[in-house]
Amino acid sequence: MSTPNQFTVPNATEYGGDEVSAIVLDPGYSTTRAGFAGEDVPKSVVPTYYGVLNKSENEVELLFGENSLHNPVPSLEIRNPLLSDCSEDWVEDWETASKLWEYSITSRLAGRRSTDPKNNGLNDPNDDAMDVDVDAMDDAEKALEDNPLLMTEPSRTSSKTRERAIETAIEGWGVPAFWLGRSGVLAAFSAGKSNALVVDVGASTTTVTPVIDGMLLKKGVRVSPLAGNFVSQQIRLMFASSQTPVSLTPHYMVLSKAPVEVGQPSQAVYRKFAKPPTESFRRWEEERVLTEFKESVVQLWGESGRLSNGVPLSLSEDFFKDKSKRIFEMPDGWNQDFTLDSVRPAEGLFDEKAALVDSDHPRPQPEHTIPNLIKSALGSCDTEVRPLLMNNVVVVGAGSLTQYFVKRLEQELVAMYAGPRVRIYASGNTVERKYASWIGGSILGSLGTFHQMWISKKEYEEHGANIVEKRCK
Amino acid sequence: MPLFKDDQILIIVPGSQTTLAQLGIPESLTPAKLRMRSRMFPAEKLGEWEPFKVRQREKESGAQQNGDGADEPEYYEDLETEEGAVWPIVEGRIVDWSCFFALMSYIHNRLSPGLHTPILLVGQPAWGRKDHNRLTQFFFEKFKTPAFSIIDSAYASMWAHKDLVNACVIDVGFEKADITAITNFCINSTGRQIAMPGCGGEAMTDQLHRLLSSQRFTRDMCEQLKKNPICELLPPGTPLPGKSDESGNDLGNPASAASTGATDSGPGHRLTAGALGEAPRGPGPNTEVGEEGKDEDDNEGILDVASIVTGGKMEEFLAKKEREKLEKQAKKKGGVEAANAASKITKLPNNKREKATFTYQDHALLDALKGMNMSGQKMAEAHAKFDQGNQKPSISDRQAVEVTDANGTPTSPKQAGAPRREIEVGVERFQAASGGIIDRIADGIHRTISAVDVARRSECWDNLILVGNGSKIRGFKETLMATIQSRYIISPSSATIFTSELPSNLSTPAGTGSQTPQPQLGPLGLGQPSSNVNPLLLAATTAAHNQNLNPGNALGSNQNMHSSHGQTPTSAKWARVGEYFPEWKEHGFDEAYFLGAQVAARIIFVFDQGPSKAFMTRADYNDMGPAGISEFSV
Repeated sequence: MSTPNQFTVPNATEYGGDEVSAIVLDPGYSTTRAGFAGEDVPKSVVPTYYGVLNKSENEVELLFGENSLHNPVPSLEIRNPLLSDCSEDWVEDWETASKLWEYSITSRLAGRRSTDPKNNGLNDPNDDAMDVDVDAMDDAEKALEDNPLLMTEPSRTSSKTRERAIETAIEGWGVPAFWLGRSGVLAAFSAGKSNALVVDVGASTTTVTPVIDGMLLKKGVRVSPLAGNFVSQQIRLMFASSQTPVSLTPHYMVLSKAPVEVGQPSQAVYRKFAKPPTESFRRWEEERVLTEFKESVVQLWGESGRLSNGVPLSLSEDFFKDKSKRIFEMPDGWNQDFTLDSVRPAEGLFDEKAALVDSDHPRPQPEHTIPNLIKSALGSCDTEVRPLLMNNVVVVGAGSLTQYFVKRLEQELVAMYAGPRVRIYASGNTVERKYASWIGGSILGSLGTFHQMWISKKEYEEHGANIVEKRCK
Repeated sequence: MPLFKDDQILIIVPGSQTTLAQLGIPESLTPAKLRMRSRMFPAEKLGEWEPFKVRQREKESGAQQNGDGADEPEYYEDLETEEGAVWPIVEGRIVDWSCFFALMSYIHNRLSPGLHTPILLVGQPAWGRKDHNRLTQFFFEKFKTPAFSIIDSAYASMWAHKDLVNACVIDVGFEKADITAITNFCINSTGRQIAMPGCGGEAMTDQLHRLLSSQRFTRDMCEQLKKNPICELLPPGTPLPGKSDESGNDLGNPASAASTGATDSGPGHRLTAGALGEAPRGPGPNTEVGEEGKDEDDNEGILDVASIVTGGKMEEFLAKKEREKLEKQAKKKGGVEAANAASKITKLPNNKREKATFTYQDHALLDALKGMNMSGQKMAEAHAKFDQGNQKPSISDRQAVEVTDANGTPTSPKQAGAPRREIEVGVERFQAASGGIIDRIADGIHRTISAVDVARRSECWDNLILVGNGSKIRGFKETLMATIQSRYIISPSSATIFTSELPSNLSTPAGTGSQTPQPQLGPLGLGQPSSNVNPLLLAATTAAHNQNLNPGNALGSNQNMHSSHGQTPTSAKWARVGEYFPEWKEHGFDEAYFLGAQVAARIIFVFDQGPSKAFMTRADYNDMGPAGISEFSV
């Protein structure tokens, strides 16, 4: 029987007990991903949104994580610590962002939590009979002392921001070693490429990043606000402007719904609130419905011609004839066939003229559309690398999962750069598409050479935060 | 020769409240042979633990004095009490490692497996990688096990079900619920709801306590009420008995309907019967309205007998009770009519009755009695006086009974369980989930499945698995499903019927003049009698219904891989459990993860034996150390 060493204790050096895997943290605008390097999916994916619960006049509690953000509790505000515009500053509220990122790691990976969920108030406010677990609280040591950290950042950030990031990690969380990687570069790695033009359609921004030999071409990076959240906004505008305005009712408002015919008013029973949840909570819950709408209805116009040029009606009808119907049912039971409208919300990503506008939401800049971003990014790169980049267009980001996105992008690129050289790589696996930069980080962090790249705590202490500019290009 | 044999395998399923374990897997899979409360008691020395509370007993005055032990206090193990117990697992997480390891050691010792026993531990979703490493180290180094594996409880639950590839497992525990979507045998870590707080059985006890505390119910009473079948969840929209005219008519007793409006009757009212120690009579015409005022004093704290006892008024109280018993007997003779009415009522199903009674075991009282250092004889007497129930011990003291059996002889003079009393409760017993726990779990399921790849969602919705003892409360499963049905199901709308799927499967009219679309390929058109039936209609009526709304699901994928864009859920169902586990059928499938763990253990240790790296051997451990466990998973 194969148990020769059953009674011997392995010795720590023999099994490499000092080897600890790095943690990869990939903070996006919508979700923050964290996990151990070498794994294929991030084990911890938490919303980057957080809750602010006003318990009393002076007492404010911050809530993190999916569990605590969906209960319709009065005076729960939902916020996001990151900047939604394309500025280089990236983070609006460092203090909260740091807590949130730490939570994303400690809640699932490091085995210790910074806030205990039992007393961070995510239960029903009346649930006070629960006994509080004190043991988990008085752990004063810093949660991340054991693992090196690989963190991603957007392709365009200021050096001040980057220094802040390393400060937070090493001083705030006590990580022993740190490295900051550009998400665009890591996304290229996830596709197995060291030369690529990465098109990342995220929640708040779309970024086009040229990568050559595994290095970022800084001058070629283009960022635009036309991304997932823009599409959500377009859907809202479309709902508001339709003949009978569509009411967007989030799930928590509905007690039960009854089936109704297409386009008929809903017959739902609504939940009554003594004090209704806040506006931001409602918006956050509405976003859930919009996400479902984007997943199941929204598609891109994949045929020739542009919607804004007035596609002949006959042509568009032909286009939809052999497509399945796109019915969407709201949480309150109201349902509609969005066949023709299914292409309108996302069209603005490619064609600013087709974007829906109102007084608060002006027409997007023409240079922000995806084709123009790519054009401008390529234009700022050397001519000799352009064919290489065009041959390796890597499409990532959850926004790119919109149906027919890749097809449409290909058409646009071929129209701009005629010739056989345009090749688009888009993983068919949703997880690989959504978490591309995390996966790239996981690959990099599990390489044996990672420890030559990182900035150790000692180096940081010797050289100061500025070292990040020199070491993490 | 196989590496391991069925009868050597040790399976341990730790939970916040109950830990299940079994040595050996029988031919016909059984529910866990060892059920333990997941708690230990601190021993005298810090860091050491005892499985039972050790109490000190005063020397009985009449007993013989052994010369040497004159000053030595006498100790005994109290097998029932949970006073001062430490629960090492809270909301699925291990919070007290030393206590948890002591619990594991105790279980290991009780089952005393041989040295050639592989161990399968069913892990909580809340455990992280560090926890796994720590557990691995403990199990290898303490128990010298030759092979060890940790299986996620969601997997284990799925393995108990037949032919599942995609599923959504809802595990309702003590203080938390975990909701896990599994697609293609892979757990989706994104969107997994881990340890949703306030969604377990405890939350329902809390809610009952909140509703009933004005009637001086203690938490323990609410806990026992929750476990009693009279406590039930009713699907949303079901009127509470007594609230609707209909149930009043059913009772045929307008007086009772009038006198027992659920919330507006006074606190003393409902408890009168219980306080007097009467047998339950149901809401009869003479609900002792007259006595209400008189008993007001007695009611004060009567449900909390323990405090009377500790307050030193026991004798007084007992005397009074005795007197009341006599009074009651006298009254009973005159109350034949009432008895008739009562018997009529008890025939109604529980959810039509306004009130019901349950037997309450007063553990607090028992602890109080024990705390008074009474002599064995005195104690037995007091016990008998307080005890009014004559039923068999209920589920809650199965533990105590089992422990006594295992040890052969009881170690203390009176261990026959806590005194029992009958308590009556009104419609509050239907409102255990009124704190929103069902809503939260239903919403959690929706979120979890919404995080899954679009094409797999409907399969997850069609294979919901509900496990966990928190869901044992009567009506939980039905109520949860009714909530999902009424809130999340996408109804097949008039626009989707007949039209949604067909065009994608059929060619568009060709320009050659043939106007009738012909089925291009696929099973729909084949084998159908060729007739002049419209092929569209034929295809529509023969296609599986749930595919109608999910075009592309069965039809292969398009270029983007995410072929099915239909909204979900169009249907929601509980997954089917295997029919071939007779023992489990009786026991119920709330602990299906144990069944699944047995299946899994047999597969990984006996059939697979290692090539698919489903368990870690001692040799692997010596090579890789505790961190190596992440390489081995089921």
